[in-house]
Amino acid sequence: MSAEPAVSQDEIDRLYARLKKEAEASGYFLNPDVDFTKSLVKGLLVNEDRYGYWACPCRLADGIKSADLDIICPCDYRDADLGQHSTCY
Amino acid sequence: MAKHVPGKKGPYIMLYALSTCPWCQKTKRLLDEMGLEYYYEDVDLLSGDARRDVMADVERWNPNRSFPTLVVDDSRCIIGFQENELRNLLKV
Repeated sequence: MSAEPAVSQDEIDRLYARLKKEAEASGYFLNPDVDFTKSLVKGLLVNEDRYGYWACPCRLADGIKSADLDIICPCDYRDADLGQHSTCY
Repeated sequence: MAKHVPGKKGPYIMLYALSTCPWCQKTKRLLDEMGLEYYYEDVDLLSGDARRDVMADVERWNPNRSFPTLVVDDSRCIIGFQENELRNLLKV
């Protein structure tokens, strides 16, 4: 696996705005720590570049979509994590 | 080969992390702020046998294979970014 692909701040800001809008339309809220959330968004974009899909930045992806379906954001563990930690893992 | 970050000598700290994970980044920043010597591996940047070998180590300490996983002196493991626990355990 090569080093992290370049992701621009503009890409991060645009995806952040889109996810915020989509989350709030579904009754969810992004973490109010914007810097932290944007670093997660950056991780999603890095993984999209690597694998072609939004594998969770905090879980190790196989890189094979059929094996990673459970960890593609929003992942299968989101609601359980929200219940346990008040935030996704 | 794990990356080495020089700093104050203390317990042997091995951090298993993902380069994309903000909780892992916070853990590295805390260790940097504490000025401690530590080793880390960004597991997502590994492939093949190297990744398998490192994940076998992670799984030995943390069967859930989640990140960050930090092992101290090959005897104690802290899973997740646990700032207070890390500060207490790693006082030097």
